[in-house]
Formats: sequence, structure tokens, C-alpha cells
Amino acid sequence: MTESKTDTATKVVDFREPRVGVFLCHCGLNIAGTLDMDDLEEYSKKLADVVFVKQNRYTCADPGQDEIRKAIAEHDLTRVVVAACSPRMHEPTFRTTVKDAGLNEFYFEMANIREHCSWCHPKGEATQEKAKEIIKMAVAKARLLAPLQKFEVPVTPKAMVIGGGVTGIHSALDLANMGFKTYLVERDESIGGHMAQLDKTFPTLDCSICIEGPKMVECSRNPNIEIISYADILSVDGYIGNFRVKILKKARYVIQSECTGCGECVESCPIEYPNSWEQNLGTRKAISIPFPQAVPLVFTINMDHCIECFMCIDACGDRQAINFSQEPEEIEVEVGTIVVATGFHSMYEPIPGSESKPAEKGYYGYGKFDNVLTALEVERLVCAGGPTGGEVIRRSDGKHPKRVGFIQCVGSRDINKYEYCSNFCCMYTIKNSVLIKEHEPDTEIYIFYIDMRTSGKGYEDFYRRGRESGFTFIKGRPYEVIEDPDTKNLIIRTEDALLGEPIEVEVDLLILSTAGEPSEGTNELGSKLHITRSGDGFFMESHPKLKPLDTPVDGIYLAGACQGLKDIPYSVAQGSGAAARAATVLSKKTVEIEPIVAVIDPETCVNTDRKCGICVDKCPYGAINALEGKAAVVNVANCHGCGTCVASCPQDAITQMHFTDEQIMAQIRAALEDKAEEKILVFACNWCCYSGSDLAGTSRFEYPPTARIIRVMCSGRVDTDFVAEAYRLGAGMVLVGGCHLPTDCHYISGNWVAKERIERYAKVVEGAGISPERLRWKEISAAEGLIFVNTIKEMSQQLEDIGIDKIKEENEKARKRIEAPLRRKGLIPTVKVAESDE
Amino acid sequence: MTETQTYSFFLGCVMPNRFPNIEKSIRVVLPKIGIELEELEGASCCPAPGVIRSFSEPTWLAIASRNLALAEKAGHDIITGCNGCYGTFKEALLEVREHPDRLKEVQKVFKGLGLKYKAKAEAKHLIEVIYDIGIEELTKKVTRPLTGLKVGVHYGCHLLKPSKNRPWKQTERHTFLDELVELTGAESVSYTDKFMCCGAGGGVRGSNAPVSNDIATEKLDNMMDVGVDCVLNVCSFCHLQFEVAQAQVNKELAEKKYQMPVIYYTQLLGLAMGLEPEELGFHQHMIKTQPMLDKIPE
Amino acid sequence: MIQASARSRCVTVTTTEEKPAVDVDDDVDLEFVEMIKKTGGPNIQNCYQCGTCSGSCPAGAFTNYLVRGIIRKALLGLKEEVISSPDLWFCTTCYACTDRCPQDVKPTDVIKAIRNVAVAEGYMLGPHQKVAAKVVEAAHAVPLDKESWQNLRVKVGLEPVPPNASGNPWAIDEIRKITKKSGFEKLIGYEEFMKAQKEKAKKKAEEKKSQKKE
Repeated sequence: MTESKTDTATKVVDFREPRVGVFLCHCGLNIAGTLDMDDLEEYSKKLADVVFVKQNRYTCADPGQDEIRKAIAEHDLTRVVVAACSPRMHEPTFRTTVKDAGLNEFYFEMANIREHCSWCHPKGEATQEKAKEIIKMAVAKARLLAPLQKFEVPVTPKAMVIGGGVTGIHSALDLANMGFKTYLVERDESIGGHMAQLDKTFPTLDCSICIEGPKMVECSRNPNIEIISYADILSVDGYIGNFRVKILKKARYVIQSECTGCGECVESCPIEYPNSWEQNLGTRKAISIPFPQAVPLVFTINMDHCIECFMCIDACGDRQAINFSQEPEEIEVEVGTIVVATGFHSMYEPIPGSESKPAEKGYYGYGKFDNVLTALEVERLVCAGGPTGGEVIRRSDGKHPKRVGFIQCVGSRDINKYEYCSNFCCMYTIKNSVLIKEHEPDTEIYIFYIDMRTSGKGYEDFYRRGRESGFTFIKGRPYEVIEDPDTKNLIIRTEDALLGEPIEVEVDLLILSTAGEPSEGTNELGSKLHITRSGDGFFMESHPKLKPLDTPVDGIYLAGACQGLKDIPYSVAQGSGAAARAATVLSKKTVEIEPIVAVIDPETCVNTDRKCGICVDKCPYGAINALEGKAAVVNVANCHGCGTCVASCPQDAITQMHFTDEQIMAQIRAALEDKAEEKILVFACNWCCYSGSDLAGTSRFEYPPTARIIRVMCSGRVDTDFVAEAYRLGAGMVLVGGCHLPTDCHYISGNWVAKERIERYAKVVEGAGISPERLRWKEISAAEGLIFVNTIKEMSQQLEDIGIDKIKEENEKARKRIEAPLRRKGLIPTVKVAESDE
Repeated sequence: MTETQTYSFFLGCVMPNRFPNIEKSIRVVLPKIGIELEELEGASCCPAPGVIRSFSEPTWLAIASRNLALAEKAGHDIITGCNGCYGTFKEALLEVREHPDRLKEVQKVFKGLGLKYKAKAEAKHLIEVIYDIGIEELTKKVTRPLTGLKVGVHYGCHLLKPSKNRPWKQTERHTFLDELVELTGAESVSYTDKFMCCGAGGGVRGSNAPVSNDIATEKLDNMMDVGVDCVLNVCSFCHLQFEVAQAQVNKELAEKKYQMPVIYYTQLLGLAMGLEPEELGFHQHMIKTQPMLDKIPE
Repeated sequence: MIQASARSRCVTVTTTEEKPAVDVDDDVDLEFVEMIKKTGGPNIQNCYQCGTCSGSCPAGAFTNYLVRGIIRKALLGLKEEVISSPDLWFCTTCYACTDRCPQDVKPTDVIKAIRNVAVAEGYMLGPHQKVAAKVVEAAHAVPLDKESWQNLRVKVGLEPVPPNASGNPWAIDEIRKITKKSGFEKLIGYEEFMKAQKEKAKKKAEEKKSQKKE
């Protein structure tokens, strides 16, 4: 791989005159049930340069793909348009098909008539019309497509796993055993995660640390694994195959390589503080490890509590492992792929550093009544290695409770807190009940639930075991818990919903099944990795069914509870799955990268004459250089292909491959050729707004068929010239949709540039006499299908309220000012529609 | 003292027509703590959120909006001393502010009546305005500390709920009224189910008196268990409920089991500010108030 | 130790009668849910029957009123059963359920919406009709309709007539216009009610007269 990215990306390999073939997919009845396919066929035949049209039942199936290959050969097609689902679904499939038939894979374009049309509009004339125009727009772009060559980049055959819980451990072990060097990065002092804190695991009651401990040790012994614990991710740069990760190793004040793990320092230390790992129910020394099985077995001094008596230094003696002047250390590693396995946080769970804060005051008297505990606290109490040596006792008097209540769904399935089901609480409650009953057989157990969910393998058996043990399951969500001030017992008030009667249950100990929530720092890490979160706050997968482990960033994968709450077997399976996904990249010497990069024309760039450098400022990746007196140059290895510089260049000297100005202008003109005043032209960024619009279709949300959507990689690509052209052609409304500020942008800051640019241009537009609501900037995430729908509904209503006549009048009035920049740049075609070159 | 604020005083029905002693105490006390009251001429029933809204929500919204429109015209926010009226105004304002089409609907009804309505005026409960003055400021006004008086505080429902549309910081276990009671020197005694309903609302008082009385007497029993001298409220309808329920139940039992004085907050504050019981309407209660007045140190 | 709450309404019913199954197919009224959704209960279909509402309910502690059950029946489309039940009128609208509902069903508003439907279909309790008529007649649900009330006002040192609608006939007039326009008078059968009231009064007066004569 010696050829540079620019060379390959811009080299015209096989430019051929357009001969377009259009393939209309029925998708069973998904499309054909709503749209008249014969009518679409007739229409497509009449479009410029279309020489072949064919309907398929399922274009993506083998016979459909065969048809494409056959037609390319028989009809000498040079461009292929498939009108079917979203390009986010099958663009890669069809590119391969086209390539198989000997055509450049970038000679392919998709018309999204399923997610954007048949799934979100009812059968009818306006829907049919929209489908036709979606095809017309795709053909218009396809005619101008240039062949490109994917370029290959070398792969660093190393992996990083972020998060050392049971998920990350399995990911790291699998990667290491496949022969890849793997960095396992953990925020806390030891790997192990939540599983290390549990006593037993459901449904088979294996001891948790007994089965996880050996895996933790295996990590530390595997020559391919480097555990970087007590460390934070500072930044992540680069791209698939070539990530550079900066990590901050916090100071332990103990030299890892010198520490033998003997523990003599701990004995010498006079200071104790609450151990958050033990849910603050136990204590630890100022120099210590959080728990005996900690990996790596290295001690840490907590400077918040250390009194600097230096007794530990004496105890350590000749080993000289303690260093009070240790500084945090910043390191940088290069890896080819990253697996994110950062787990979850349990509601009210103390985090390290919060030891001195009082417990959070929460639902059902938690933090206020002594004998109300969380399930995680009970895990530590019931564990023989825990602070009470395995005794579940009351905080108020140290006695064993005779009646124990469990309240399910505390914070979960609650619209006012977390809407989701936390997945594992039903099972751990039965497990904890079994354990408590095992310790103290005469304990009465009351479990208050909304629905018992025990759907895993062997789980229903376990539920039956609970019933057979005589646990009282009460369907009812308690509305109130009060404390008896004398006995410190808790009175649980609820309706027994199966009886239909209000009841009160007095218990000695109440255990809350608190919700799991995204772990601390999920937002920050997401921004560093440029991966998105779904509405629930957890990381969002690329596709809920078919790409559950992938993220929108190639080379970054998800596993375990950080993507959504899940139990141990599922997390372990995902850990191994993500390792396999990562290995598909690491096992190859090189990886192909889309050549959708920016290229600067040195002839047009004005930096040769005077200092410009706007593109340098706008590039989120610092990928552009503009030396004095020389044309700016894109360092394509760093270019991520957002197109922000392209739209920012006042000279239009920059081109984004596969999303050229000409191609997008052709789409605009095709969209607005007829009845422009009645339409909303939407520029949607690929990662957020476009995905959101796809989700609207997948969810079958209905909205008016007024929108014509043009996909750009980033909202930063949207040039004001595009908006001007839209109004010049009479557009009713223009919507620019990007990712949410401040940090959702897939390209770091393209959305900031876009928002600023569009808002600035909105003033120009308004000044020219166009109603302000006719140009809108809107942040819509991939999870916000409904917001996309509501935005289109709202804008359609506004469009109706303003009225076609007023829009025409405004456009006419604004024409001179709006057209001026286009005219100056010679962007106004002499014939009305771009398809004049025939 | 903070500067004087002026509000349109919304009376409602129960207060002026059945328990004018409450009205009197409000009219006497509020100006003394910097709250000026302007009459809201021609105001009607709020109308009652439990009954009229249960029969015809659009009629309820229109009449409520008319009262709010009168205040809007006067240029003041509405102040009320009844939780029910407060609830009606808070909900009616939210409805038209969240749904512009509902506002249009109301404006359509108002056409021909010469009424203009933009949902501009706010609605406040007088206890909200009093609490905003601040415990410290109010304490300065106390000249006759009511030391030794044990008070059972009853918040009522619509003052607090639905909490998404109320100004209070908490959603449960409120303390603001207890703080306001304790600044007078009296003790707010905690009792079981303090935040439970009085049992009057929703049309239950009118149509199902036995159920209504059951709920009220359960609250009274809980208060009597901890030995309070009076039940304190901030709602003319809760006030009516506790007075009427005691009378009715006593009659049914043919014994005077319930003799708990029912006091409105401004009466208590007025006493602590040194006003005479007569000025505050203490002499016109259904349940005699003398036993509790006797407890107050001279 | 479970105990039926101190406030339990638990009663044992013994009957020899056959208990027929609810015939959902026959009774179902799909529009009923839509009506409720439009008038105050947009989220009624979120309900997952957890019992937070019915547990919290003070009226439910003393009566057979079960909020959860009413919502269940409404969702099954059992309109007639729901609107004809006297239970519907036990809600004191305390909003405890609404505040605590984990699915934002707003049970209080749902009950009020169902009551609107019930009244429109002719299910209205006598005392409620009276209160509604008072609002139309005097612009106040609890009017200043006796001299003794005026005297009471004077006794505490207030004007005999307050400055609200009681002292302002134009205001009562406005309320009448609103209640006419909104269809409220017709809804509650105002004219018929007043006519019946008058006849009742007349009869009473005549009886008194004849008694006097005798």
C-alpha cells in the first residue's frame, strides 16, 4: 500500500457514459402493497439515460441480484439504480453485485422508496408521486456518478477492550487467544466489574467470584493481554485499523512492577475508610486493594484519606514499591479495533470517591429508613466474603430479619425515571430470596412485582423453585412504604392486584430491586468515540437485529450492558461476539475504506495568492494544510469524508467524492422540477437525521408525503448554495437535519458548523423576504423517528398555513438576492433543468 | 418587608357564602404582610374541578377561563384561598397553554361576550404567596407566639397535585405548611396519613356523604390519636368538609364524639400577629373554637 | 405478616346465582377508548395494571371503587358497564394515583373523562344535577341563596353580599350565555330540572296553604 489515498480516490478508473438500469423492488408487499409498480416502471423508462427497467419481487435475494448482473451484461448498463429500501440497509449488498458484474461499485445509487415512502404514507396519488420523484432524484445523481476506487489501509493487528467486567474479560481473552495483542482498559483499581461483587449467580447458584476469579487471573497471565487498570480514556483518534488512543493512568502511589502483593503495607496502615466496592457497608485501609481477588494485585493509596504517616513505606521496606511522588501517566497506544464493554451503574450504587457522601435519598425511604437496602447491598451482605461474613442483618439493630420484602421495578418501567425493564432484577430477586432462606430457613419472603419476567434458559424452573419454597409473590406496585418508628420495621402498602384488595405487609427488611442505568461517563466516552446513545442513554447499536454488536463507526464494537441491560450469559456471549467482529478486521493485513474524501483543486484554491485557510479551520480532524503561498492540501489519511470543508470553501475549490456539488444540485433540481412550492426539501445527515427518517419508516409512523430527502454524510456538507438553489426553483420549505449538539456528531463538530452556517443564512433568507419558518435547522438523532415525523408534520402544517400563493410571491420577491451568489459562481444552468446535456 | 404585591382576589363559592370567617381573616391578615387584594367583580364559581369538570370538561374550561380573563383584564394574577379553585385554574391554564386549539375553542365561546383571553394571568394559592415572603420575614410579624398549641396540618390535595403542574419542590412529604404553622410558635404534630384526602372532592361530598364522612373521620381519628388541638387547613372546601362531617357524624352517633376545631391558616397567623379572635371570625365556627383559644397564652 | 389493610373493603360475597362470563365480543365499544383518549386520558393504553393507583386511592379504601378495574374495563371496551356503575362517582379527585402512576396514565383525568361520557349518556346523580343547575342559575355551585348566609357575613364583619356574581346580575347572565353555548344546560337537563323544582315548590306551598286552612 504505497499509493496515497488521494491518488486512488480521485483517479478516474473507468469513466463511462451513463446508461442507467433501474430495478424496482416489490419487497414482497412491503413496497408493492402501497405503490403501483407498473406505473413506476413506465415512469422510470422515461427518465433521461434510463435504458432498462425491471421489477423484482425481492431485489436483494439471489434471483434479484442475478437479474442486475444479467442486465448489466446484456444491456451494457453503466449505472445501476435500485429503488427499494434504505441505502443504510442494502447499499453494500448491491455495490458488491455491481462489482461482480464488472462495473465500478460507485456506479450504484439507491432510491429509498420503502422507509421513506411505502412504509410511512398510505396508498394514494401523493405517495405514488413521491416514489416517482425519489427514483428521479436517484437517477439524476446516478447519471453524474464517477467511478472511485476504495483504498486500502494497513491494519494494526491489536485490539483494545474498554471495560474489564465479565463482558470485557471474555472479549479480551478471545481476542488474545486468537493471537491478537489486546489492551484491557479498566477505570477502577481491579477488573471484575459487577460480577465480582455478586455472591451467587442465577439460575444455577454458582459462586460468582469462584467462576469469574479464574478468568480474571487468566487475563493477567495471558501474554497477549495488557491490563491497563485505574485508567481513563482521554481521546480516540484515527479510523478502522488505525486508532490512536490516549490513556491516563491514575497515580496509585505504588509502583506496579515492584509491588509483590504481599499486603504488609495494609497491615501497617492506621486509616480506614468506607469501601465503595462493598457498597460502603465495609471499610478498607488508605492503602489497600478493593477486594482480595483483585486483578492486578497492586495496592493503591487513596490520597483523600491518607494521613501520610509513611508507615506503609517502612512496611514495604526493601521492596520500595511505594512512591508518594508518583504522577498520573499519559500513554498512547495504537490499535486496529476497539470493543466497548463499559457495563452499567446500579441506581444508588456508590461510586469510588463518593464514600464520604451520605446515601442518596430515594424511592420507598431508601437513604432515610435504616432497614431499606438495595439488591447490590444485599449481594455483599449475603456473601461469605462480605463485610458481615455472609449474614444478612438489619442496619438498625444487627438482627436477622424474619420477614423480608422485595420491591421490583424500583426506577424501572417508570415513565418518570427509566422507561425500560432492567432485565435481570426478577431473577436476582428470586436468587437472593433463595439464599436468604438458605441462611435462615424460617425467613418469610414477600416479593412485590408488576410482572415476573423469567424468560432465559432454566429461568422459569428457578421461578417455580421460588414458589415451591413458599415465597409469597404479590402482584402490585407498592405506592408507599412507612417505617414503624419504634421497631424500625417497614410497612409496605399496596394493592394485591390479583385480589383487588388493598393490603399492608410489615417486614423487618426491605430490599429494592433498583434499576440499572448507563454507567458514569457514558456520554463522555460516547463523544470521544463518536458513537451514539439511544433514547435510554445506553450505546446504540448499528442495527437492532442484524448488527447488534456494531456501532456506526467502523472498527468499534459494543458488548454487554453498555448497549442495554443484560444478564451474565448474554453479556459473555456478546463479549465473545464482539471479539469475533473485531477479529474480522484484525485478521486481515489491510482494510478497505470508502473513498468518500475531500479533494482540493489547486487551480481554484486562492490560498496561493492570499491567506485564506477557512477549510483548515472548519476541518474537525485537522486534516487540511494550507501553507502560505500554496494551495491547501487534504491529508486524506486523516480525512473522514464529512464534507464540512467543501461547503465552507468560498471558492468551491473542494470536492467531496461521491457527494459532489453537481450530484447534489442534480438531486435538488430533480426533486423540485414539479410543484416545488408544495415540497419540503430535506438535507439529512447520514448518521442521525437520515437514520431517524429511516426509523420513522421502520416504525410505520405516518406523516405527510411532502418531504424530499437528500442524504449527505454530515450536515456540515450542506452548502448555502444548495438552499439558494432550492428557493430559486421555488421550494416551499427547506430543512437541514443534523446530529444533536453538543457531541453527537459523527465527525466531531460538523453539526456545529452546519448550525452556525444555516442560522446565519436564515437571516439572509429572511432579509430577502422569505418567511423565517421556511428554513429550519433541526437536530434529530437516529433514535428519534418520532421527532422526524413531528418535524415534517409541523412544517407541512406551516407550509399549508403560509399558502402556495404567498410562497410563490415570497420566492419572486427574494429571487434577486437569493440568486446573486449562484449567478456569480455560474451555477445557474441555462436550461431550466440540469438534464440539458443530452 | 418586601414590597407590596397586588392580586385579584378570587373568592369562589364556599368561602363567601358559607364560611365568611375565612374570607374575613384573609382580608384582615394579607394586607398586613404586604399582600394587597383587589376585588374581582363578577367572578363566578371557579367552577368546581371535581363536579363541573366531571360533567362537561369544555364548559368547565370555558367558565374557568372567564374568571381568568377577568383577572387578565384587571392586570393582576389571581389569588385564591381554596385548593379546588386553585386546581381548576392551574389545570385550565395548562390545558390552553399546551393546546393552542383549546384556547381557540374558548375564545370562540367568548365571542359575543366581549371577553378577551390570552391565558396571560397566573393563578396562585395564597399559601404559595405567603410562603414566598419567607419564614424569617413572617416570623418578625409574630407578637403573640402560640406556644403549646398542637396543630394537625391538613394540606389537601389540589394544592399539591398533580405535582407536575404545581410549584413545590417535592412531590411527597411536603413541609412548607408545617414551617408556616411552626413560625407562629404552635407545634405541627405529625400523624398517620397526613397527606390523605379530606374526602370532599370529586362530587363525593354531595352525592355520597357516608363515604365522604368515613374518609374525613379517619383523618380526624388519626389526628385525635396524637392529641392535636385543632385541624388546620388552607382550603375552604376541606374546611367545610371537616366542619360538616363532624356535625353529621355526631348526629348519626347521637353523641358529640368529634369536637375538633377547624382553623384556616390566616386565622392562625392572625392570632399570632396579635389580632383578636373576633376580628378573625373565630366566633362563627360550626365546631366551637374556644377550647383551642383557651390554650393560647395571653 | 400480611394483613388486609386496616382500611380494607374486603367483604365475602356468597351467592347461589350463576356468574356469567363477561362477553367481551358483544359488549365491546372500540370508540370508548378513543373518546377517553381525547378527553383527558391520552395515555390510558399505557396501563400495565400494576395497582399503584388503586392502592393509593382513599376512596378505594372505603368502597368497592377500583381505579385499576375501571381502566381495565374501559380498555376492554365495556363502556356500558363502566359508565353505569355507581363506583365511578366515588373518586374524590385527590390525584394521588396520577402523581404516582409509573406510566403517566393520569387516572384521575381518565375517570373525569369517563364521567363526561356517563353524563352525556344520561347517567347523572341527583345531587350533581342540582349543583350543576345552581351554577347555571346563580353562577355559583354553592350560592348565596338564603338571607341567613348574608347575616352570617355581616356577623363576621363583611358586606352582606360579596362582590362576585352574587352581587352582579350581568355576570350571571354571562355564565348563562356560556352554558347555553357549550350545550351544558341541555346536557344537565336544566329547563326540565327547574320546571320540576318550581312545581315541587308550588305543590309544597299549596299543601302548606291547605294545611293552614284546615
